[in-house]
Amino acid sequence: MAKLSHNDLIVFLLAISVMLITSRVIAELGKRWKLPVVMGELLVGIALGPTVLGQLAPEFFNWLFPFKESPGVSIALDGIFTLSVVMLLFVAGLEVQLPLVLRQGKIAISTGLAGMVIPFLIGFGVAWFFPHWFGVPGKGEGHYLFALFLGTALSISALPVIARILMDMNLFKTNIGMVIIASAMFNDLVGWLFFSLILSMSGYADGHMNLGYTIAWIIGFGLFMLTVGRIVLNRILPWVQNKLSWPGGVLAMCLGLCLLCAAFTESIGLHAILGAFIAGIAIGDSVHLREQAREIIHQFVTNFFAPLFFVSIGLKVNFVQNFDLLIVSVIMVAAFAGKVIGASLGAYFGGMSRRNSLAVGFGLNARGAMEIILGTLALNAGLIGPPIFVALVIMALVTSLTSGPMMRRFVEH
Amino acid sequence: MSFDLAKLKKRPPYPFETIAVAVAFSPRLEGVVGEAWRLAKSFDAQLLLMHIGNRSREKENQLNEHLEKLKIDESKVRIIWNEGDTEDALLELCKLHVVDLLMLGALQKENMLQYYLGSLARNISRRAKCSVLLLTDPDPAGTRYKRIVVSGVENPKTLHTIDTAIYFAEHMKCKELTVAKEVHHPGLAMTMAGESTAPEASKIKKELKEEEMHKVHDLVEHCRKHGDIEICEKVIQGKPGYAIRSYAAAKKADLLVINSPDGKLGIFDRIFTHDIEYILEDLPCNILIVHSRT
Repeated sequence: MAKLSHNDLIVFLLAISVMLITSRVIAELGKRWKLPVVMGELLVGIALGPTVLGQLAPEFFNWLFPFKESPGVSIALDGIFTLSVVMLLFVAGLEVQLPLVLRQGKIAISTGLAGMVIPFLIGFGVAWFFPHWFGVPGKGEGHYLFALFLGTALSISALPVIARILMDMNLFKTNIGMVIIASAMFNDLVGWLFFSLILSMSGYADGHMNLGYTIAWIIGFGLFMLTVGRIVLNRILPWVQNKLSWPGGVLAMCLGLCLLCAAFTESIGLHAILGAFIAGIAIGDSVHLREQAREIIHQFVTNFFAPLFFVSIGLKVNFVQNFDLLIVSVIMVAAFAGKVIGASLGAYFGGMSRRNSLAVGFGLNARGAMEIILGTLALNAGLIGPPIFVALVIMALVTSLTSGPMMRRFVEH
Repeated sequence: MSFDLAKLKKRPPYPFETIAVAVAFSPRLEGVVGEAWRLAKSFDAQLLLMHIGNRSREKENQLNEHLEKLKIDESKVRIIWNEGDTEDALLELCKLHVVDLLMLGALQKENMLQYYLGSLARNISRRAKCSVLLLTDPDPAGTRYKRIVVSGVENPKTLHTIDTAIYFAEHMKCKELTVAKEVHHPGLAMTMAGESTAPEASKIKKELKEEEMHKVHDLVEHCRKHGDIEICEKVIQGKPGYAIRSYAAAKKADLLVINSPDGKLGIFDRIFTHDIEYILEDLPCNILIVHSRT
């Protein structure tokens, strides 16, 4: 087995500790101004990456993050970042509760559907008719996949940011809050399933997959995990939580199952994130998963893997060089228009008042961490280039920051 | 068959003036009829014994034997024989005779296939336009109701449900009634994981629990007068439906009282189980599903 050299190991450990400590310090400072933690983590990545440190002290930057010079450190860090994204999708899945969507009924479905379809159409339309704005060739499969991706990217929401905003506004337990949460869950579920499909169509793994085969696998695996898998989990979880050491037993089982499902989906040509996401839904849906176990999993992933992942984004991309005002503006306008109009119309036709419908639209407009994860995966798969990725990150931050204040303007107490 | 729909609409869920029982000629027939007779006497209600299926001398004799054994005055009950699809025919008869409470025997737990396909008792519970009482262990002498648990879920129908539970408890001489509200915060763990300090997280949880306690208290304050029945207020953590099912089982309740479903329930609601489906999946005790008919 190849090993990291003594020096490589030191650099690897140093790099991780610098990322963890600095991102936590900045995130804590940001909390004073009510800025989301993910923003602090991204800023640290930009500061430590080629955008700032790479310009001010290129030698030190190359020593701390020797992506080119040391393949060993580079592979080790890439392994950690991949594990991080798998874990992030797993915890995102943990919070998707289909029964909540069913319970909220017509209004959640209409809001969730309109909040997905309209932004998707706008995103797809802009990318399809104006590919030159994004520097994408206007023909071939790349054009088609890019249009599908942009539509999907504009249609997802970010449950963690939305839940936090609702809690700060004291709307978490209200009817409007539950509609927003249920619709965001619906958006996440459909959005990630669709994104997995796009990734496998892009042939990021071992070449192109047959579309019918891919769809059959996604649906088959999802249904299997949410029916048979769920029944098996409901039998195993109480035993694991009562008979094995706490919380070690349940943590090992949940994380182990997540990685097992991720490995399975990766092996059949779908992305590992799909397996992790669906494993999260199956485990999170179980009534036997204790709230404390859920909290421990969230703490572990959010405070270790999430900062590493979000800091790593800034390490890979130069945000100044890749900033393109046209792309940023187009994506921003399309994102705001699609989500706010779509989700508001859905809520209005679901039976909400005009003002509350607008509040729902702005609430669901927050893209946060989920958009950034989606963008990173698309960048790694070659679906988009750095300028579009930078625009998506900026859009994710702006929509997250404006969501709360805009909701406050419209919500009726 | 025709019936006056106006008689049903806005009719309050109690008093129980007409009680019906589904007669299935199963080994539990005597228990179910015995329970129904006791309730009809306690509520001073008319009792209808309804059988869907062909009428035969053998069935008539069997029913008469049970009535005799239970010392039921035949002149005080009305036996209705009807044919057709059991579920639809029972529901039609309930509307036609303006039944206030339909009683059915039900297995505590059904095999998986039966549950997903939908059994008679469960399907009627999902569809009935009157209150339904599911009896898991019917006793010919009648169950003694010592502990009743009522779901205090946030819903405009809940006040009617609590009032009906109090009415039931008064007539059954039950002294202990608990109104339990389930608390479930999807997304809360994720929200607090990265952005809250330990004291902040505890404070948020405490405040949310207190808020729920106030809501239960408000509900109990606004319910009908309950004389010497002691009403306990409780907030329980967990998914709606499952949490109250577990609570009723742990408390060894004799009756769990819940709202009727808000909308139509289908196979998806059984696959992605929620609310009442968690209870129907595994009945913790007898279940009274109150239809407020508002």
